[in-house]
Amino acid sequence: MSRINTLLILLLVVMSGLAIQPALAETPNQILSAVESSAKTAPEFRGFSATRGEQFFKSTHGNDWSCASCHTEDPAGSGKHAKTNKVIKALAPSANAERLTDPAKVEKWFKRNCNDVLGRVCTPQEKGDVIAYLLTTRK
Amino acid sequence: MSERIRVWDVPTRVFHWSLVLSFCGAFLTAESERYRDIHVMLGYTVLGLIAFRLLWGFFGTRYARFSSFLFTSREVVTYVSALVKGEAKHYVGHNPAGSVAIWLLLFLAISSGVTGVLLFQDSGGEVVEELHEVLSFAMLAVVLVHVAGVAVSSIMHRENLVRAMITGSKEARPEEGVERSHAWLGVIMLLVVATFWAGYSAVNAMAPDEAVSQAEHHDDDDD
Repeated sequence: MSRINTLLILLLVVMSGLAIQPALAETPNQILSAVESSAKTAPEFRGFSATRGEQFFKSTHGNDWSCASCHTEDPAGSGKHAKTNKVIKALAPSANAERLTDPAKVEKWFKRNCNDVLGRVCTPQEKGDVIAYLLTTRK
Repeated sequence: MSERIRVWDVPTRVFHWSLVLSFCGAFLTAESERYRDIHVMLGYTVLGLIAFRLLWGFFGTRYARFSSFLFTSREVVTYVSALVKGEAKHYVGHNPAGSVAIWLLLFLAISSGVTGVLLFQDSGGEVVEELHEVLSFAMLAVVLVHVAGVAVSSIMHRENLVRAMITGSKEARPEEGVERSHAWLGVIMLLVVATFWAGYSAVNAMAPDEAVSQAEHHDDDDD
């Protein structure tokens, strides 16, 4: 009986964890300032720049892919996956209100996609520059 | 009196090793968008293989049938406690502990596959995304337990279970063997899988170039 109770409680905790997630939503600016506080620890931190972010976004960094390979050069428009051809929803919050509101999601996709484009994780400086760029693009 | 008898028919073995290959491949290609098409292809393969296995669980030979490895929880407990003492009873087909892993693997393969398809069709939200990851890692965990169980059982009963899943045969009493190997069906399965992989890769090899050139040259006509 107690084993079933433990299982039930565990299940409830997991379910409420999943349900609570949307309540933890943040604004893009809150996410940017979280990135900023970790970028600041680097002595060479120069503040974030949308221009640098745009260059970073469109550069292939010596490999074959850039961010724009899938997201296109216009982050406010929808993108297209370079391998599967599937539509990717717009990245810019101005065009897609869901973007940059979930810190875990932002972390997850920076990690995956930086690995694919650069072959390494992005630095907080690079992430902040890109977010700054995404926040300036309009439809 | 024991001699070499056939235990696993050919379709069961082809299913087993194709599933090993597809699941491991899908797991290894999960972290990169570069392999997304391969990941999806292998996920579909897992689902196709499981669909076959569900049918084969009713129409297959003796030890492939679900009825041969439907054990009660009491039988599982009895088997495991005997195993701990080193005196577990020998089963020609699945043993009760192994069958638990098989049922779990069937469930996890179906659920991780289905959540993957939902995600790929953009009809799943964040919860589905989380579920897909949790289910896939759970499946890997059960695979590892399954492999450990195979090792323990092989040592305990002095029979090479990995080899049995390759050759199909074990040492046992002649009347315990299955008569037919259904080799033709195994060949058809391999052909279907190979054709699917070749076809899927060919279609995908054509599509991406189109996507890249569109991204480069037609930035303005986004819909």
